[in-house]
Amino acid sequence: MEELAPRIAAYLAQRMPAASNIEVSGVSRIHGGASRETFRLRASWQEGGKPVSRALILRRDPVASLIETERDLEYNAYRAFHPTGLPVPEPLYLETDLSWLDRPFFVMEQIENCQAGSAFNAEPYGAHAQKIGHQFWSHLGHIAAADPDKIGFSANMEPVAPEVCWKRELDKWEQVIDEDELTPQPVARAAIRWLRRNPPPPSPKISVVHGDYRTGNFLFDGEGNIRAILDWEMCHLGDPLEDVAWAADPLWAYEQLDRPGGMIHRDEAFRIWEEASGLKIDPVRLRWWEIFNSLKGLAIWISAGKEYQEGANRDPVLGFSSWYCTDVHNRVLARRLAEISKEART
Amino acid sequence: MKPDVDIVMQGFLGTLLMDIAPHLNAEYSVGNVSIMGLMLFMASEEYDRAADIRVAENNEMRALFAHAAGIVEDAALKAKLAAAAATTDGSLRVRTLNEGNAALAGLLIELQEHAETSKASWAAGLEARIWDWLVASTERRKLPLPSFG
Repeated sequence: MEELAPRIAAYLAQRMPAASNIEVSGVSRIHGGASRETFRLRASWQEGGKPVSRALILRRDPVASLIETERDLEYNAYRAFHPTGLPVPEPLYLETDLSWLDRPFFVMEQIENCQAGSAFNAEPYGAHAQKIGHQFWSHLGHIAAADPDKIGFSANMEPVAPEVCWKRELDKWEQVIDEDELTPQPVARAAIRWLRRNPPPPSPKISVVHGDYRTGNFLFDGEGNIRAILDWEMCHLGDPLEDVAWAADPLWAYEQLDRPGGMIHRDEAFRIWEEASGLKIDPVRLRWWEIFNSLKGLAIWISAGKEYQEGANRDPVLGFSSWYCTDVHNRVLARRLAEISKEART
Repeated sequence: MKPDVDIVMQGFLGTLLMDIAPHLNAEYSVGNVSIMGLMLFMASEEYDRAADIRVAENNEMRALFAHAAGIVEDAALKAKLAAAAATTDGSLRVRTLNEGNAALAGLLIELQEHAETSKASWAAGLEARIWDWLVASTERRKLPLPSFG
């Protein structure tokens, strides 16, 4: 990894003309968002006659990834939300010139002395579950309440009308399954048919949708304070219940339906979200987005499996998510759709 | 082959997590070793059950198709169902069983879609039977995670 250090230092020197003697050290790749290569590093320099040191994160486009996204989507989300007080890292530089690090990348503040919970642990937050759960759902409510135009999120973002936002997302993820499935997927296909035959009522508003708001995608400190909401690669405009359903998906934290993400009870979580967002959770819309999100998950895991199988990316996390997460989402969807199907026939 | 493959894979999981991971300095490498260990654990289970699951699934789908061939009215679908019901697995190699499983699953999708849109008296019963099978199939394929407690 250290071979990247002088190249990053050269880049920072170009971006920070007032700095001199820039040194980059401790470049270390970390797991953090499977759609980008993520590196932790420390930059030190002289500025105004004083030494400065800053911990940074660099996110570089991979050759192939779990999720195909544009890096500027994520960077712009950080730029939109950082001034609002929502805990996100400060975005610093977005670079699309391949001459610096071979692939596009962006640089942002590193949030130090924090950890992320694991989605593969029944108790990812231990004694802090209640405190973190309250913040988790409150922050999501604030994301839903934000005015996408006012905070600058909508710039360069494809607009969508409330009555068709469901269709845009379903079309997108169905296409991923069409293109990437390595074997027929009866449960996914049944889910797609059900979702098309039972479209949700239009959302009362179009909000910022994080797209991957869940256990494991935020950092918290030793006192149980959420310090950074990360991994905005799949953010878009849409129905705010899409995020609610994804955050409550059974995959996160061992399929605990009543305690999504291994945090607080589902009823309490939704009450907090409603209070923070000023919106009501329509159970009919929520059910549609819950089924959609388990399907979206399947699409992501199916795509990851193809990347690994074809050798485009041999990161073990792609193989793991294709095995384990496909298994969970197939079971979740089969149980749910079997119930709905039998209810509809009686 | 002794020691048994599942025992060896589970042993490797222990070696990776307890012996190798603590000596790695790079956080990303530690994460990869942990994921590889988990996948070895899952593979140890799948090694033992893979052929059994696929043979059972393929035979159950054929039985379902034989039943459906006797009730659906669509002549083309009826013929496909009857033909699929009469197939057999050519070998117990997992790759061969997977190929047969994929062909049968493709036809299952077609049959389920047909049942969903049919108003015939048999449709609800067939749809329920397909869902019961899909639920049972996904439960049977559930992958284990190791307990570190």
